[in-house]
Amino acid sequence: MRRGARSALLFLLACAGRASAEPGTYSGSVAPVFEHNCVKCHGATKQKAGLRLDSLAGVLQGSDDGDVVKPGDAAGSELFRRVTLAPTDDDFMPSGDHPPLSPAEISVLENWIAAGAPPAAAFEVVPAAPAVAAPPAAPDYRPRLTAATELAQRLGVRLVPRSRVPTDGLVLRTASAPAKCNDEVLASLAPMADLIVEAELARTRVSDKGMESIGRWPNLVRIDLTRTAVTSEGVARLAALGRLEALNLTETKVDGRGVALAKKLPSLRTLWAFGTP
Amino acid sequence: MPDELHAPEHPCSDHGGEHPTVLDLPYVPISLKREWLEAETRRHFLARGSRALAWAGLATILGRTAPHLLADVAALPDRRPQFLPKAKRAIYLFMAGAPSQFETWDYKPKLAGMFAQNLPESVRGGQVLTGMTASQASLPIAPSFCKFTQQGRSGTWVSDLFPSTGKVVDELCVIKSLYTEAINHEPAILTMTTGNMFPGKPALGSWLAYGLGAINEELPTFVVMTSKIPTKRNVQALSNRLWSSGFLSPEYTAVALRSGGEPVLYLQDPKGVERDVRRSMINGVNELNHQLFERVGDPEINTRIAQYEMAFRMQTSVPDLSDFSDEPASTWDLYGPKAKEPGTFAYNCLMARRLAERGVRFTQIFMRTWDNHTNLPTDIKAMCEESDRPTYGLITDLKRRGMLDDTLVIWGGEFGRTVYSQGRLEADNYGRDHHPRCFSMWMCGAGTKPGMTYGETDDFSYNIVKDPVHVRDLHATILHQFGFNHNKLTFKFQGLDQKLTGVLPARVIREVLA
Repeated sequence: MRRGARSALLFLLACAGRASAEPGTYSGSVAPVFEHNCVKCHGATKQKAGLRLDSLAGVLQGSDDGDVVKPGDAAGSELFRRVTLAPTDDDFMPSGDHPPLSPAEISVLENWIAAGAPPAAAFEVVPAAPAVAAPPAAPDYRPRLTAATELAQRLGVRLVPRSRVPTDGLVLRTASAPAKCNDEVLASLAPMADLIVEAELARTRVSDKGMESIGRWPNLVRIDLTRTAVTSEGVARLAALGRLEALNLTETKVDGRGVALAKKLPSLRTLWAFGTP
Repeated sequence: MPDELHAPEHPCSDHGGEHPTVLDLPYVPISLKREWLEAETRRHFLARGSRALAWAGLATILGRTAPHLLADVAALPDRRPQFLPKAKRAIYLFMAGAPSQFETWDYKPKLAGMFAQNLPESVRGGQVLTGMTASQASLPIAPSFCKFTQQGRSGTWVSDLFPSTGKVVDELCVIKSLYTEAINHEPAILTMTTGNMFPGKPALGSWLAYGLGAINEELPTFVVMTSKIPTKRNVQALSNRLWSSGFLSPEYTAVALRSGGEPVLYLQDPKGVERDVRRSMINGVNELNHQLFERVGDPEINTRIAQYEMAFRMQTSVPDLSDFSDEPASTWDLYGPKAKEPGTFAYNCLMARRLAERGVRFTQIFMRTWDNHTNLPTDIKAMCEESDRPTYGLITDLKRRGMLDDTLVIWGGEFGRTVYSQGRLEADNYGRDHHPRCFSMWMCGAGTKPGMTYGETDDFSYNIVKDPVHVRDLHATILHQFGFNHNKLTFKFQGLDQKLTGVLPARVIREVLA
C-alpha cells in the first residue's frame, strides 16, 4: 500500500513538472538535440546505417533497418530505445566516446515522438523530471573505495563494487570466511554504511545484535541471512530499511512473527523463509 | 620472434645469443612487451635459458625491481561487471552427446502420421549428411515415441520423459531454435563450451573467472564435474580442453572434481604431516618459486604459486563441501536417493547447489551418454530417468533457498538430432544422427523469462522458421546476465582483442530476458 502511495506522489511530481513546461517545436527543441549528439555520424558527411538525422525528412525516412521513429509511440521507437539503453549496451547511442543524452534531451525526444512527431506544431516539453530517472542505489563509491576496501580487509570481509557504475553501491562479501563475520564486524562497517547495497551474510556468525547495525544502513536492497542465528527479534531491527527489496531468511530461527514484520518493509518484494520454524 | 629467426643454434640449446630482446628496448611500449611476453610458451622459455638475464637488464633500465615491472606486465583485469548483473553464478547442465529434441523439448505432432516416410528433399535442402547416414538408401521419418502434454500455467509442451521437470516448467525459458555450424561432437562441444570449434580458446567459465574473480577465495571459481553413466552405449568422450582457460592465465581453468571417492585427490595430508608442517613446506616452495620468478619472470610461475595456495585452502574448504550430513531430510526427497552416491548426476546437482551457495561462480556438470545413434528410446529413457528428478530437485532447491534469483541454470547439448532414423526404423526402436541446424535448450533463473518458449522449427524440426539463436547469441546472453557486454570482455592475444563470441556479430536475446 505504501508503495502505491509513493508512486502516486511521484506521479504528482511529474505532473507538476509537466504543467510548468514551455511548449517546444521540432526546429526549436528537437533538431538541436540531434545536432548536438547525432549528426556527426548520421548527417551530411557520414550516414551510418543509412540514417540521417539532420532533417525532419531524414528522421522520418529511417535507417537501412527501417523506421527509427514511430509517431505516437516513444517506447516503440528504435531511436528512443537506443538512447535510453544502458550505456554499456551494444546498441546504445550515441556510440563511441560521445556522452549519453541528458535526461532533459531524452524527454524532449520522448515528448515529441509521443505527440506524433509533428513537424511544426508545438508539443509539451517536460523538463528533466527527477521522478522518471531511478534514484541512484548509493552515493558515488569512487572517493571512498580504497578506504572501504582496506576497512573490509582489516575486518576479514570484502566490500566490492556491484558494477562499474559508481552509484550502484557495494556488496558486502563474506563467503571466503563466513566465520570471521560477526556482529562486531557489522558494527565496524558503519563508516561505509551508506555505500553498502547488498549484504551477503549467509552462514556467518551474525545475530540479532548485528541487525541493529545493518538496520541503519540506509541503502540496503538485498540481505541474505541464510543459516545465521538471527531470529524475529533481529528482523524487527530492520524496520527502518526503506529500500530493502529482498530478504533471505532460509534456515534461520525467524518465526511467523518475524516473517510478518518483514512483510511490512515498504519496498520488500521477495522474502524467503524456507526451513524456518 | 626475431630471436628465433636469427638463432642458428639447435632449438634446444640454451645458448640464446647475446643480442638484446624486445624487453631490453626502453622505447618499446609496455603493451608491446606484454604481448611479447604472452607469446612466450614455457618451452621457448626453457630453451632460452641465458636470455633470462635480459629481465635483470630491463629492470635496471627502468630503475625498478623485476616484480614491480611484472605487476604492470600482468596487470589484473577489472573485476567489476560492466553493469549491474542479474546473475552471480551459473550452473550449466551440459548434456554431452546431444539429446534429441524430438524426445525432449521440441514437440512435433504432425510426424505421428508420417512413420517411415522418406524425408522430403525440399526440407533437407541438399544438406550434406554425416558419413553415418549418407549411405542410407532412405531417410525414414521416425516419429517420437514420447507423449507430450502442456503443463504449468505457461502451457509449455513437456515430454513424458520429464515427469519431474514438468512440475517446474513455469520456471524455464525453453529455446527451440538454437543452431551451430559443427556437425561432430568435439568441435560442437568446443563451440558450446568455448565459442570456437578449434581447441585453445578459454571456456565460458574461464571468461567469467577472468572477468569477475572469485566470490569465495577458498574455492575454485570454475568447477567441472562429470557424471557416472547409466548406459554403456554411445558414451561421449570428454577432455579438459572443454574447461581449459586457453590463452587466459591457467588459474582460470576449471578444477574438475572427481566422480568417485574423494572429490580432489591427495587433498588430505599424509599421516604424520601436521597442518603447520604443510604450511611451512608450501611457504618454502613458494619462496623458491618467488626467487625463480624474480630471476626469469615467467608469469606462469605466479600461477603455480597461486595453485599451491588454492590447494592448501581447499584442504579445509573441500571436506566441508562434500560432507552432506548437514542437509535437511527434504533434500533427499527433492534430488532422490541417488544424490547420496558420489558421482551420480543427482549427487553432482546437489554438489552444484552447495558450490553455488558457497560462491562458486560457474559449475558445469557433464552428462555424456546422449549420443543415441541407435536404440534411442531405451537409452534416452535411461538418461532421463537418471537426470529428470535431480534437475527438478536442483531448480526447486535453488528457488526455495532464494538462490534462483541470481543463479543462472542452463540445460542443453551441443547440437540436435535428425528427424529420420539412422539405421533400422521400428515403431519402438530407432536411432537419430547428428543435426546442427536446430536444437533445444533451456535456461532458468537470474533474470531469464520464466515460463517462456522461444523460437520455432518446421514440422520436421529440421530447419528453424522463427527466431534463430546461434551459440554465440546464447553466449552473449549469458555474459549479459553476468553484467558484461560480450564485445567488451576481451583479452589481447595473437594481435586480436579476443572474446568469447568471436569476430562474427552476436546478439543478446532480449526477448528471453525478464
